[in-house]
Amino acid sequence: MSRSYIWKFCAILLIIGLFCYLALAGLSALGIKGVNEMRTGIDIRGGISTTLYPDTDDLNSITTQQLESAVTIIENRLNGKGVYDMNIAPDSENKRIVVEIPYTAGQDTNPQKVIDELGKTAYLTFQEVDEELFEGYMDATNTRKKYLPTGKIVVQGTEIADAQIGAVEGRPVVTLDMTSEGAQKFAEATARMRQQKIAIFLDDVLITAPEVNDTITDGQAYITGSFDAKGAADLAATIRSGALPFKLIPKEINSITPTLGESALKISIQAGIIAFILIFLFMTIYYRLPGLMAAIALLFLVTSLLVVMATAGITLTLPGIAGIILTMGMGVDANVIINERIKEELTAGKTLKASIEGGFKRAFTSFSDGNVTTLITAVVLYVMGTGVIKGFAVTLTYGIVLSFISSVVMSKALIVNVSKMKFSKDRRLYGAAKEVLE
Amino acid sequence: MIDFISNRRIFFIISIVVIAAGLLAAIINGFQWDIQFEGGTILSIVMPDDTFEPNDIESRLRDEFNKSIVAQKAQTYNPDDEAGSINLLTLRVSKNETLTDAELNKAYEILRTEFNVSENAESQVQSVEPFIGVEMRNKAILAIIISLLLITVYVWLRYSKINGLAAAVFAIVALIHDVLVMIGVYALFKIPINESFVAAILTIIGYSVNDTIIIYDRIRENSGKKYKGDLKELANKSLNQSLSRSINTSLTTIMCVTVVYVFAAINNIASLKEFTLPLIIGLISGTYSTLFTAIPLWHMWQERKAYKTAKSKA
Repeated sequence: MSRSYIWKFCAILLIIGLFCYLALAGLSALGIKGVNEMRTGIDIRGGISTTLYPDTDDLNSITTQQLESAVTIIENRLNGKGVYDMNIAPDSENKRIVVEIPYTAGQDTNPQKVIDELGKTAYLTFQEVDEELFEGYMDATNTRKKYLPTGKIVVQGTEIADAQIGAVEGRPVVTLDMTSEGAQKFAEATARMRQQKIAIFLDDVLITAPEVNDTITDGQAYITGSFDAKGAADLAATIRSGALPFKLIPKEINSITPTLGESALKISIQAGIIAFILIFLFMTIYYRLPGLMAAIALLFLVTSLLVVMATAGITLTLPGIAGIILTMGMGVDANVIINERIKEELTAGKTLKASIEGGFKRAFTSFSDGNVTTLITAVVLYVMGTGVIKGFAVTLTYGIVLSFISSVVMSKALIVNVSKMKFSKDRRLYGAAKEVLE
Repeated sequence: MIDFISNRRIFFIISIVVIAAGLLAAIINGFQWDIQFEGGTILSIVMPDDTFEPNDIESRLRDEFNKSIVAQKAQTYNPDDEAGSINLLTLRVSKNETLTDAELNKAYEILRTEFNVSENAESQVQSVEPFIGVEMRNKAILAIIISLLLITVYVWLRYSKINGLAAAVFAIVALIHDVLVMIGVYALFKIPINESFVAAILTIIGYSVNDTIIIYDRIRENSGKKYKGDLKELANKSLNQSLSRSINTSLTTIMCVTVVYVFAAINNIASLKEFTLPLIIGLISGTYSTLFTAIPLWHMWQERKAYKTAKSKA
């Protein structure tokens, strides 16, 4: 008699072992990612999520195009600050923008500051000043007036082609390069306004008000102000990325510190491991040989779920981890049904082979029905939920698909092949009495 | 063999008592809508030690902003220091009010200058405008209703052989049973109702209907056989045959969720704790409602129908 079943059994164990390895280490040559490379949501790694609303009474006047250009501008602003990992989504139906910025090392720990910067319109204007129109002074010696905007605009943000950080007399400045149109206007104004001041405003806040010494025809200007090198770089990035078509106000803010998220992650992982061990023991003790096989198949379920999620770049959130742990508990459900059935059929006097086949056949329908309903709720959660809950829904969906493979394909192959081995002919290994009871 | 059908009244009473207790808690305690669904601002900030007095901070900030602010002390597990824990101050503004950007910045400043909070203390903020909260709440309720409808249609179509519509309706009755029990848990333990609540409820809906369907499946399988005609025997036998499966699956699932709950409770991770406790109760309720509510009700309905048919024939 051929011993092919031993090879088959070993091959499946090998596959499961391979998934364990992949889950732990990944395989970069094939683009398969392990647990360590998994993307984590802001509820774990920390970060900020906020919903920005246009500051206007007439929401209907805002077009999808405007929203999209606002998204691009915010993206550029963040890029200018060295933030590249983010998620900005316009919601054109409700006229709002959802921004998610995961925490990166060195980022400001005060979420308020980051959000404040996002929604600024960054409407840059060069305006003529009115010596009578000012509000206090910018320095202690009362020489630099804090001018208020006069509305007599010389050059505006759209006429600035580029803004860079530079240095003048050892102080950080923002150098501006105007478009030809801007340069022309600026030349005209500087010729007209010699010895007068030109005030530079960003969103109606005075940055600086230098005196015009000479006519500037090349469209080159620089802004000095009370900022350091980082401040200058930020300002340059803000000007470069352009002005928003409207001011955006954060009406929903959710920020999480990396430390707190990390502790929740550690706890969840520990809990997951303990839960797995408990299920392993329970299945093996209660259902004996087929239970052990189901527990091994469960190992496949968990590791393949992790590999799929990591490789597909699905963001792991805390509810997502709860979803994985829940999938573990519910994942053995099919095997519970199958193993109960095998025991039942054996007790009814069927042969081992027929019992196992019967068990899998019957269990299949109830298993698929039960999971369609879970799938329905997962899809509803995904469609209607927001960020964090979407993660839970995705995990649940992958969990259902993979638990189908693990309990119907994997555990079947394991049980069928192991049952052909010599040692496993004893009916007691399947939870039935030694002899058929008449 | 347990006679589920003859003893149904006792089981119905147990269900009603549990649900009534939960609803009573809801009437007395009300629901703790989280700011996600009501609007409000929560600010948590890491404190240097646990000697601070939340009441002082509370009255200081109330005077400053003239808004109903609640300050609380909290502690949580520190991943960098196994022995120590992190001390937190949590500020909460709700009842249709939020702290504006400027007010939040002012609050940071006050905490730093007057309450010894370090310059770069880690903090987290959650702020939701009331109108968004209401929108989210409606969306959540809609999600639950849509799931229920879709599941009804599915069960109806799949189980037409054993009177699918009745089967679907009683599966939904069992679901509503579970949802009511869970709502009671939220009211009783004053767990804030937020997105996790929706996830927990929908998970239990999926689970509970799964549980019920497996027994319907057994009834469908048995109905063609020797139990034809004897509805009581059919229902009881199917329930008993599926009993160890029902219990064991609940057991493995509850085991998993309980482990997470215990870990979260020991280390005081509120978000996980608040997600898993209702799940545990929901899982127990889901199993109970299948065995003691859905199937006995289906049986009552079928008996009545059989009785009517017999009468009209006679």
